[in-house]
Amino acid sequence: MIRTMSKTRKPWIAALALLLLVSTLLAACNNKGKSDEEVTLTFWNGFTGPDRPAYEAMVNEFMKAHPKIKIEMDIQPWDTLLAKLPTSLVSGKGPDIAAFNASLIPQYAKAGNILPLEDLYSSKDIDQSVLPPSLVKQMQFDGKFFGAPANFATLMMYYNKDLFKAAGLDPEKPPATWDEWKDAILKTTKSEGSDKQYGLVIGDHATIPNWPILIWGGGGDITSADGKSSLLADSKTIAAVKFWSDLVINDGISPVNLTGAEADKLFLSSKAAMSVTGPWMTPGFTAAGLNYAVAPIPVGPGGPVTLADSVALVGGKNTKHKEAVFEFMKFWNSKEQQITLSVQSGFPPARTDLANDPGLKKNAFAAQFATVANDARFYLGGQEQASKIDNDLFIPAIQTITNKKGSVEDVLKDADKKLNDLLQGK
Amino acid sequence: MISLKRRKFTPDRQTRAAIWFLLPSMVTLCLFVFWPIVDSFWLSFRHWNLMEAGREFIGFNNYRVLMQDERFWNSVYNTVYYTFGTVPLCIVASLGLALLCNAALRGLSVFKAIYFLPVITSFAVISIVWGFLMDPDIGLLTYYLNKIGLNMPDMLRSTTWAMPAVILVAIWKNVGFNLVILLAGLQGIPVSLYEAAKLDGANAFQRFWSVTLPSLRHTLLFVVIISVISSFQVFDQVYVMTRGGPLNTTETIVYYIYHQGFELLDMGYASSMAWLLFMVVFLITIVQLRLFRFDQTD
Repeated sequence: MIRTMSKTRKPWIAALALLLLVSTLLAACNNKGKSDEEVTLTFWNGFTGPDRPAYEAMVNEFMKAHPKIKIEMDIQPWDTLLAKLPTSLVSGKGPDIAAFNASLIPQYAKAGNILPLEDLYSSKDIDQSVLPPSLVKQMQFDGKFFGAPANFATLMMYYNKDLFKAAGLDPEKPPATWDEWKDAILKTTKSEGSDKQYGLVIGDHATIPNWPILIWGGGGDITSADGKSSLLADSKTIAAVKFWSDLVINDGISPVNLTGAEADKLFLSSKAAMSVTGPWMTPGFTAAGLNYAVAPIPVGPGGPVTLADSVALVGGKNTKHKEAVFEFMKFWNSKEQQITLSVQSGFPPARTDLANDPGLKKNAFAAQFATVANDARFYLGGQEQASKIDNDLFIPAIQTITNKKGSVEDVLKDADKKLNDLLQGK
Repeated sequence: MISLKRRKFTPDRQTRAAIWFLLPSMVTLCLFVFWPIVDSFWLSFRHWNLMEAGREFIGFNNYRVLMQDERFWNSVYNTVYYTFGTVPLCIVASLGLALLCNAALRGLSVFKAIYFLPVITSFAVISIVWGFLMDPDIGLLTYYLNKIGLNMPDMLRSTTWAMPAVILVAIWKNVGFNLVILLAGLQGIPVSLYEAAKLDGANAFQRFWSVTLPSLRHTLLFVVIISVISSFQVFDQVYVMTRGGPLNTTETIVYYIYHQGFELLDMGYASSMAWLLFMVVFLITIVQLRLFRFDQTD
């Protein structure tokens, strides 16, 4: 009985299994053979934050204006994207367009993994004369363009008006100098008891850089202007790190080992009075009904300064639709789109010719973040090893200090030596 | 010649069917598991950064650099710390629970389900939930412990407490798996052994020590080996809960491999680390097998 059953049934099942296997393989290989002029571009990005709808709207807008070009967005966390992107590009695949932090351009460009965009700029499809000058440099490697700005951000000091009032500070007069800042921070810090409150939350890893701003504010820096030598052991750098680490360690103005997301969470839950971050937080904080405002970073001995940050659009080296990719980048940087994006996301536009545009006024934050653009600097701009310097040198140094595992001088001198070795290719 | 012909493989109908059934998974396994393993061995002798062209052969250089890499040794220390923190505690806890479950006449399946629930939940989910529970500012656990006067340290952000926190969660998750296996072992011990021991006047502890433990030897061996191997490969909860931080105090070997391979994109170096880890796990397994065999012959 069983024998006969196996005779009749099993080949059927086996054939079915085979069919299943073959059809899966075929499905995987089936890259749409039709050759009408419709083009599909894949676009990898990490716009997972509260500003996500703004980017999605823009992509939809593009598809409406270009019926022949379809954009397939793959939105994933930045670190996932950055782990997948190099592998896929090297193995001959990858997206047509990708977005990532502009500080990574040198690394990708040097390896030839992204498209040169010289044509895009020389044809004035993107006019470099209307981009902020620091941004122009950030889009280049070796003097050649490899990126188009996807967004441009500056950082400002967010402060909680209710907590300011409760501490007897004027919520309409945010601190403007380091002295006033320190005073406001100490007044809003409650390090005793169960109802803790932090004056200023300073993220030290997995965050938009905070510490570099504090170092710049004190007149110090991480590397020299040409990026060829370290300034970590410079007396002004040491003094600035001392000033702030002292406030963190002795006055408890911020938890140590804090990520950017944790800092945002503390500010969002009114457990922190101030936070230094970018425009992407405005939609979330506003939606949560927080009574807050933004102000320029208070000025230290080193003069007014803040951090500039940019996500760049790049073309994957394996794309077969270069024209469509260029069209997309051009569209993204057009006046209309930049204004729409600014109004929806709170980001300042990545163009300097829109500052007085009436359209921009619809989002007060965007205009405010645009006002500090001239003082904004990129962290480790143009460094091929930016992420290695940040992850393996700068962050551990700051954390060693704030965790009281070494003195400011010793730690920074040690990091200084390591950074010089790295910059000189040792 | 004749013998060659005779040795020709002529599968019967059933074997042929089996081959067709096995083929899909064999193909995927070879393609996505075995081949990468072999390939990574080859890579571990090369300098290959994804961002640089070429895969230059550099002999044992990756391994040599590895021996002097402080951060690698730090990750080895953390992994050993984690293993010693989780494996013994977890096995003791699960053995205790297994004995209780074994004694329970009613509701056994309910308890089994409760303890097994964390096992089938993804580590990422568990880590996020525990991260919330232990959050120093908005955590439920912190809140209530503070209420009753136990001042919880800022666990996940403390260089001292981050690893114990990770260990705690790992134990909570893995207890169920060990429990189910040990329970099966317990239920396989013949009742006659206990009856004989009782007749000989053995008390409960003596029965446990001289009957239960020796009879469970093989099950325990299995649990220990599996636990040690999986502890050496710990990654998920470190990635989600602490990202190896603060100050690399929870950075384990696999997390460091990930950092080198997928964050710094140094595939050659990461491969050499992976192979070193493989050899260590292999050695530990052999040693454990030997140790337990001694017991058997004595």
